[in-house]
Amino acid sequence: MNFKWWPIRRFVQLGIVTLIASPLFGLTIFHGNLSAGELFGINLSDPFAFLQATAASKVFIASFLASAVLVTGIYFMLGGRTFCSWVCPVYLLTEWADRLRSRFGTGGRTFSLSGVRWSFSATIIICVLTGVPLFEILSPIGITTRAVMFKAWQPLLLILSLVTIEISIARRVWCRSLCPVGGFYSFLGRISPLRVAFAHHLCTQCGECTKVCPVEEVLEPPLTTHKPQVTSGDCTRCGDCIDICPTQALGVDIWYK
Amino acid sequence: MELSRRDFLKASAAAAAFAAAGAPLLGSNNADAAEAGIKWGKAPCRFCGTGCGVLVGVKDGKIVATKGDPAAPVNRGLNCIKGYFLSKILYGKDRLTKPLIRKGNKMVEASWDEAMTLIASKFKEAIEKHGPDSVAMYGSGQWTVFEGYAASKLFKGGIGTNNIEPNARLCMASAVTGFMTTFASDEPMGVYDDLDLGDTYFLWGANMAECHPVLFSRIIDNRLKNPAVKIIDFGTRRTRTSQMADQYIKFTPQTDLALLNAIAYVIVKEKLYDEQFIKKHVVFKKGKTNIGNGLEDKFKFTDDPKPMTFDEYKEFLSTYTPEYVEKLSGVPAAKIIELARLYADKKRKVNSLWTMGFNQHTRGTWVNNLVYNVHLLTGKICRPGENPLSLTGQPSACGTAREVGTFTHRLPADMVVTNPDHRAMAAKIWGIDPKKIPEKPTYNAVEMFRALDRGDIKVVWTQVTNPFQSLPNLNRFRKGARKGDGRFVIVSDMYPTKSTEVADVILPSASWVEKEGVFGNAERRTQQWFKMVEAPGEARSDLAQTIELAKRLGHGNLFPYKYIEKEMWEEYRQFTGGGKDLAPYEAYVKSRGLRWPVVNGKETLYRYAEGYDPYVKAGEGIKFYKNKKDDGRAVIWARPYEAAAEAPDKTYPFWLCTGRVLEHWHTGTMTGRVPELKRAYPSAVCEMHPDDAKKLGIKNLQKVKISSRRGTITLPVDLNGRGKAEKGNIFVAFFDETKLINELCIDAYCPISGEPDYKKCAVKVEKA
Amino acid sequence: MIQKSSHTGITRRRFLKNGVLIPLALAVAGGSISTLFLRRADARGFYLRPPGAVEERRFLASCIKCGKCAQACPYKSIKMAGGEAGIGIGTPHIVAREVPCYLCPDIPCAKACPSGALDKKLEDIEKITMGTAVIVDRESCLSLRGLRCEVCYRQCPLIDKAITLEPRHNQRTGVHSIMEPVIHRDKCVGCGICENACVRDQPVIVVMKSPPVQKDYYEF
Repeated sequence: MNFKWWPIRRFVQLGIVTLIASPLFGLTIFHGNLSAGELFGINLSDPFAFLQATAASKVFIASFLASAVLVTGIYFMLGGRTFCSWVCPVYLLTEWADRLRSRFGTGGRTFSLSGVRWSFSATIIICVLTGVPLFEILSPIGITTRAVMFKAWQPLLLILSLVTIEISIARRVWCRSLCPVGGFYSFLGRISPLRVAFAHHLCTQCGECTKVCPVEEVLEPPLTTHKPQVTSGDCTRCGDCIDICPTQALGVDIWYK
Repeated sequence: MELSRRDFLKASAAAAAFAAAGAPLLGSNNADAAEAGIKWGKAPCRFCGTGCGVLVGVKDGKIVATKGDPAAPVNRGLNCIKGYFLSKILYGKDRLTKPLIRKGNKMVEASWDEAMTLIASKFKEAIEKHGPDSVAMYGSGQWTVFEGYAASKLFKGGIGTNNIEPNARLCMASAVTGFMTTFASDEPMGVYDDLDLGDTYFLWGANMAECHPVLFSRIIDNRLKNPAVKIIDFGTRRTRTSQMADQYIKFTPQTDLALLNAIAYVIVKEKLYDEQFIKKHVVFKKGKTNIGNGLEDKFKFTDDPKPMTFDEYKEFLSTYTPEYVEKLSGVPAAKIIELARLYADKKRKVNSLWTMGFNQHTRGTWVNNLVYNVHLLTGKICRPGENPLSLTGQPSACGTAREVGTFTHRLPADMVVTNPDHRAMAAKIWGIDPKKIPEKPTYNAVEMFRALDRGDIKVVWTQVTNPFQSLPNLNRFRKGARKGDGRFVIVSDMYPTKSTEVADVILPSASWVEKEGVFGNAERRTQQWFKMVEAPGEARSDLAQTIELAKRLGHGNLFPYKYIEKEMWEEYRQFTGGGKDLAPYEAYVKSRGLRWPVVNGKETLYRYAEGYDPYVKAGEGIKFYKNKKDDGRAVIWARPYEAAAEAPDKTYPFWLCTGRVLEHWHTGTMTGRVPELKRAYPSAVCEMHPDDAKKLGIKNLQKVKISSRRGTITLPVDLNGRGKAEKGNIFVAFFDETKLINELCIDAYCPISGEPDYKKCAVKVEKA
Repeated sequence: MIQKSSHTGITRRRFLKNGVLIPLALAVAGGSISTLFLRRADARGFYLRPPGAVEERRFLASCIKCGKCAQACPYKSIKMAGGEAGIGIGTPHIVAREVPCYLCPDIPCAKACPSGALDKKLEDIEKITMGTAVIVDRESCLSLRGLRCEVCYRQCPLIDKAITLEPRHNQRTGVHSIMEPVIHRDKCVGCGICENACVRDQPVIVVMKSPPVQKDYYEF
C-alpha cells in the first residue's frame, strides 16, 4: 500500500552521481562517466556514443562494440528510457527545474516527443558527414558528469541555460524533445518487456497520472483505447504514475501483453 | 698602510665600476629603464668549490640580479644554472629573521639578548660541570675565512677545547690527509689553467659534468680545439661525465685502490717511470695495514710510517698484476695496461682529477696517496698542463676549513695542535698563554656527533651547515640530538632545515653578500667581497654571533678589532708565510682573487716549481720544500687494497652510492628555495640498472623501498635517467630533505682522515 | 483532461510543424554551430594529446570524452579541455608546463580508452609521438649562451636519444664550450618534461605539433 518507487529511484540517481564522483575520493570501483565507464573492471559504453564515434571516425573497435552491446542489452531488459529517469543526472536536474517551474506557474509549452528521434537521426548523419561526434561536444550529460569528475564547473553554464529555458518557456523540452540519447533509448523502450501495466477496472479517470508524467502523451493510448500496457518507447519507466495513482490502477509488467 | 672602511668602500666602487666596464658582454647591452640604478659589486658564487666570480646587482637595498663576472678568470662571465639563480637564494619565503628558543615542542620567537644569554649560560654550565671538551662548534666549508677564524680562535684559544670541526670533514678531509702525507702541505700544486693546457684527463670518482659544470666545459673545449685530448672517466656509475668522456672505465666499488696499484705496477714493470725524477724528488714509505673502518665509538688510529726502498716498493706492487686486479675490479687486464701506458706516455700531458669518489672512502687517504704515486713515478707533476688536481665541493672548503684550519687537529696554515712550536706560534699571534690550546685533538665530525649521542658533548653549535641531513647513519644522530639530559643544540642558519628541527635554539644568519667575506676555491684562489645588502629582520652574520658568545663567555678580548674583517685578515696573515703566503687585504679587494702563495703581490700558478713558486730556488727545478722531514721530497706510499667497510651480501645485495645533481647543491637548503631549480629537479629518485629492476619486477618510475641495516626510505625508481647505475649498484642524490638517503649510509670512515664513506654501503631494494 | 484526446489523430499541419520543421531547425542550428563556431581543436593551437592518441582529426572523431584516461593518469597530467578548445571541449590533453607526461611504462591512460581515440595496443612508450620539442627562443636559452644549464637535456626521459648535447667552442670566453641541446625529431616523443623543467619564465623549449615526415632515399 505504502510502497513507493520514487525514493528508490532518487537513491539510484544520486548513487550514480556518487559513483561518478567516487574516484575523487580514491575509490577504484568505477571509472569514467556515462559515455563510457568501467564498473568493477567491466567496460560499459553508451551505445549512442559508440554509434557516433564509429560513424564519425569510420573505425570499428570490437571491444567498444561489446561494451555498448552489453549496455544495450541491459537497457532492453530494463525498459529503454529507464536510463533517463533512473540514471541520467540531467534528468534529475530538469526534474527539479520542473518543480520550480510548476511552483512559478511559468512556461508550460511542450513540443513533440518525436523530436528526440529526429535529433538522434540528425546527429548520426552529421557524424558521418563531418567526422565530428556532434552530440558528445554539446552533451549536457557529458558536461554534467565531467563537472562531477574533474570539478570542471565552467561548461555547466550550458546546463544553466537549459534549465532556465525549461523553467521559463518549455516544460522538460530537453528530455522530451531534444535529447538524442533519449531518442536512442526510446527505440529500445518500444520493444522492451518491462512496461507500466494499466488495470482498467481500477482506473477512475482522475488524470493524476498524466499530471506527474513528464511524457504524458504515452498514457493516452491506455487511457483512451483500453490498452493493458503503456507501450510507447518514450515512457521513461520512472514509476511516478504508479506512485500517484490513488486506486493502484497502474503497476509493473515484466512481459508483453 | 692604514685603510679605513670608507677607503674600502671607495675601492669597492672602483672595482664595481671596473666590473661594469667589462660587463657589456653579458647584460648591459640590453639594458633598459628597469636596469637603471642597479649597482654592481663582485663576489664569488655561493655554491661549489669552483669559485666562479659573479657580479651582484643591488637596487633599493635588495639584490635584483646577478650575472657571471666577465672579468673573473675562473668562469669569464659564465655560470652554471645554480649560479644563474644566485639572486634568489636569499629571498625564500621562509627566511629566518628572529632567534627562536624551544619551549617544549614549539619554537618561540625571542630577542637576541634572550637567545645569547641562554646560549652563554648553557656553555658556562657545561664547561663548569663537564669541562671545556663538553662544548663544541660544528661549522663548514661555507664559513667565510673570518667566521672560521673567529670560531677557531674562540674555541681553541678562548674556551680551550679542540672541539671544532667543519663539515669539510665529510667532503675534503681525505684530500687534506692525502696532501699532508705525500707533500706535507695541504692543497694542490696545479691550477685550473691545466684544464686548458693538458691533453689527457683521468677523472676518478668525479662527475664533473654535473658537479663542476663550468670547469668541465673547459676540458671539453680543450678537446674541441685539440683532437688529441683524451678524457678517461673511472667510475662505478655511468654519469653525464662518462657520456662525454672518450672512455668510461667501470670498476667494482672500492677497487680503485687496486687499480691504481696495478697502473703503478705496469709503469714500474715496463720501466715507464721517470728515473731521474724519482731519484731527485721522491722517497718511498709504507704505513700500517688493516687499519679498520672507524665504526666503533672513540675509534683511534695513528699511522706508523716506515721508509722503504724503490725495490721494496716494487716488491709491494708485485701483488697487483693486471690479471689479479682484473678479477677484483672487473677492468680487463689489457685495459689496465693500456691506461698505465697512457698515464706514462712521455708525449702526453697527464692530469688526474677527483672528488668525492676518492675522498668519501674508508681508505680515502690511501687512494689520494695512490694517485700521487702514479704522477710521482712518471714525473708528471708541478708542470703547466700536467698535474693531479683535487676538486672541492664547497666555496671555502680550501679557504676556510683547510687554510684557516677549523679541524680539531689543525691550526692555521698547515699547522697542527699536536706540535708545541705551532701552538706557541698561534698563542703568540692570538696573544694568549700557549697552555690554553690543548695539545690533543678531540673528535672528528662523526665522532663529535657520536659524542653528542652518548652525552659526552652537551652543547653543540652548528653554523652554515645542515648535519642532521648530511651525516651518515643519520637516524642515530637525529635521535641523539634530542635525547635531553643536558644536551643543547644551537643551529645558525638562514632557513629552516632538517637541523633546525632538532635545535634548542635557532639563530637567524646573514648569508653571502649580506656580510663581508673571503672564500678560497680549489685552485688556491682567495676571493673577497663586500657586504652589499642588509640581512632581513634581525638576522646577523655568523661572525657577529660567534663574537657575541665570546664576549658573554669573557673572551671578548680575543676580538679587539674596529674594522673586524680587515684587522682579522692581517692577524690571520701572520700565520701564512713560508709557502702559504696571503696578500694584504686590499690586494683581494682590487683583484678577482689571487692564488697563494702571494709573494710581493705576485700570485703563484704552480707550487714547488721553479720559475713559478718563489720558494723554489734557481736550479732546483722542482722542490717539495714543505716536506722538510724528507729533505724536500714527496712520498710514494705503499698502500694496499683493503675491502670496503660493508659490501653487498645475500640480505643486502646492492651497493648504494649517493651524490649530487647539477640543479641542487648539497642539502638543498638554498637551491630548494629557488622555484625554477625546484621545478627543474623536484625530488630524489633511485637510479637502478634495468636488468636488476627486471629481476625484481620493478618498472620505471615505480616506487621502491630501499633499506640498509640502518634505515629505510621509499622513492621512485629511475631506469633511464641522467645517471645509469651499473648492475648491482643503485644511486640516490642526497639533496631531498623529504628523502633522507643518509639514514641508510654507514658511518664508517677513513681512519687517517676521519672522512665517512657515502659511496658504499649495502642495501636491499623492494617494491614499495 | 488530455486535450489531445479530443483529436482523433495528428493533423498534417501538426506533423509538419512538430515532426519536420522543428527537427530541421535543430539540424540547421546544430550544423551551423559545428561549422561556424566549433572549429577543429588544433585550429586554435596545438593540443598535446595523451600517449597513443590517433591522428588529431580521427582523435576528435573517436573521443567520447569519458575522462577515463585522465582518471587513469597517476600524475594528473591529463586535463579535460574546456570550452576554449572548440569542438575539442571535454577532450583530454596535457599542459606540459603544468604537469608533463612522465611516460609510464604500462601506459594506463591508453589502456583505459574505450573508443580507440588512444591506441590501446600501444606497448612501447618510447615509440609514441605526441609532439616534438623545439627550442623556440634561442636567444633566451641559457645553454646556448654558454651557461651550464641543459636542464631539458638532463631531465629528458630519452636522454642521449631524443636530446643530445653538442659542444662547440665558446668564442667569447675562449676557454669554455657551449653545450647545445639538440632535439632529434625521430626519437622525441613529445612528453613535455623538457618544457616543464625549463628554468626560464617562458619556457624556451616547447612541445609542438610534429612536422610530417618527409621521405627520400638518402640513408643518412
